[in-house]
Amino acid sequence: MLQIQQLEKTYKNAAEPSLQGLSLQFSDKSIAGLLGPNGAGKTTTISILCGLVKADAGNAMLLGMDVEKEREAIKSRIGVVPQSIALYPTLTAMENLQYIGRLYGLSTALLKERINHYLQLFGLEKSAHKAIRYYSGGMKRRANIIASLLHEPELLILDEPTAGVDVQSRNMILQFLASYNKLGHGIIYTSHLLEEAQQLCDEIAIIDHGRLVVQGKPTELMQEQQAQSLEQVFLQLTGSSLRD
Amino acid sequence: MRKILATFLNESRLFAKDLPGIALLFLMPLALTVLMALIQDAPFREYQDIRFEILWVDEDGGKMAKQLGAELDSIPQFVLIRKLNNQLLTAAKAQELVQKGDFKLAVIVPRGVSAEVANSANQVANELGAKMGAPGKLPQRESREVALEIYFDPVIKQAMKLSILNALEKQVTKIQAEIILARLENRLDEQASDSAGPGLRLQEKLQAVRIKEISGGENSPARLTTNSVQHNVPAWALFGLFFIIIPIAGNFIREREDGSLMRIKMIPGSYYSILLGKLGFYIVLGMLQFFVMLAAGALVMPILGLDSLQIGNAFGSLFLAVLVIAATATAYGVLIGSIFQTPNQALPFGAISIVILSAIGGVWVPVEILPAGLQQLANLSPLHWALDAINELFLRSGSIMTVWKQLIILLLFALLFFMIAGMTESRRRR
Repeated sequence: MLQIQQLEKTYKNAAEPSLQGLSLQFSDKSIAGLLGPNGAGKTTTISILCGLVKADAGNAMLLGMDVEKEREAIKSRIGVVPQSIALYPTLTAMENLQYIGRLYGLSTALLKERINHYLQLFGLEKSAHKAIRYYSGGMKRRANIIASLLHEPELLILDEPTAGVDVQSRNMILQFLASYNKLGHGIIYTSHLLEEAQQLCDEIAIIDHGRLVVQGKPTELMQEQQAQSLEQVFLQLTGSSLRD
Repeated sequence: MRKILATFLNESRLFAKDLPGIALLFLMPLALTVLMALIQDAPFREYQDIRFEILWVDEDGGKMAKQLGAELDSIPQFVLIRKLNNQLLTAAKAQELVQKGDFKLAVIVPRGVSAEVANSANQVANELGAKMGAPGKLPQRESREVALEIYFDPVIKQAMKLSILNALEKQVTKIQAEIILARLENRLDEQASDSAGPGLRLQEKLQAVRIKEISGGENSPARLTTNSVQHNVPAWALFGLFFIIIPIAGNFIREREDGSLMRIKMIPGSYYSILLGKLGFYIVLGMLQFFVMLAAGALVMPILGLDSLQIGNAFGSLFLAVLVIAATATAYGVLIGSIFQTPNQALPFGAISIVILSAIGGVWVPVEILPAGLQQLANLSPLHWALDAINELFLRSGSIMTVWKQLIILLLFALLFFMIAGMTESRRRR
């Protein structure tokens, strides 16, 4: 579902390149984790995949389509969950979702059905008419995910979907992602939480300094690196020095 | 179309839930407009219908002095004060009161003024009469130097001083001419006393051309002149309208920062239809705000003792002009939202730039009284062209045919703002 070849990107006035010939691929309909320390190039990669940033060199294919040349076709088939809560805080969850659903061109009846379905699935049906700003951190994260699911994308890209949420919300989100994947949808997500990635992902790619460090199934990587956990693999490959 | 409408409705919903935002966007400009109209009412009236007190000391007591006093009394702007505390003013007292700043000016008519005017008139009548062969001679003597004395408060504005001096000089000249003509007429009438025809009526004949003051356009129903309301309401309403850049810029930066832009840009179809829905909302909001200010100018100002705002009768042209102005303001908001990274950078710059553009654009004081260099600079301010278009419609009974140039320039400004914003966004992608 994702093939990246020799992707390069240096932001204007940046001291160092963000991506330096990054190449990786994830198989169709898998749950794939894009992992790396701060400044590794995860967000730049996601931004290139979403068309928000243009790569200096290399190419990226999502669902077999070129992200630069076939953006429109890609858009209707993927859903992106930004790291921050990209919802209007003064509007209710219902109002936010209605607006986003209308932008996707969903009919009124279908939109109503999907909103109700996902609000129930994510345990937000009782808070549907409450303004987002009154939601807890976990509720906001869940609503943020629903907003990217209304058109039921083939591939869901999530940037740190569980950052700063309580254990229950995190568990709920991970369970949902697993079940959504079982329905035949692919998932790419970035995270700092390696235990979570180990538990959820079919395959992972660890990147650092804009390059691929290692790629494979979590269990295989642990065996290769003779490590007890993915976190140990991560530290062995990216070092223990602090990152800004 | 569906996306445009959905976005327009969503923006309306967001705005409706932001009560402090509504208050800021409507009440603050309203308060500013009313306040500025009230503050500037006195300076505007200074040249129009303010009543100006003049200490009048008549030491002469003659016909000419009395006539001059009466003529000045008949001018609505002047109130002649001859007595204070039931006592006739003296030159020394009047001078003292002006010096203390209690009164702006005093006019002293010294003894002998009327006699000097009469002597001068007799001299002229005698000379002309002699050349025309009229018999007899009016009494005359050598001329003596006499002058009206005027004391001004040092704080009085130069323009006001000149206007008072002109008024006095005009009246003195008028009275002198009348006296001369009356004497001459009498002499010539005496010469023609044998004939039964009508008198010469020289004074009437010499007033063949009079001055008729007409303001406003040719077809203007009302005779308009600018006043505090007529200047301040459109000017500050435009200022308030341009402040719409603050929510626009804030909204664009917030969407970029919180990932909403990423989500919106990942929605199939052109991002421009969503952008159009947003811009459409802000344009409508700006227009609504402007028309609320005009309504306040027409309805609230008279309650506060000010003049009512006259908006002419080219309503279609006014609507179109306000639409173009609101679009320009919105485009400027998009530009500010694009070129700055954070609200802390954008909002102060946006607010201060509006203040600067309004100052050079004639919002604070009319462009005509700015220094020559600033008058040239005014052309770079969209607020100048906006105000010019509105004044053309309100004060000169203009129409779309007379404001098209201003509107084209405003549209070019809008286009330029959008182009720079677009280039900034595409550079950001790189």
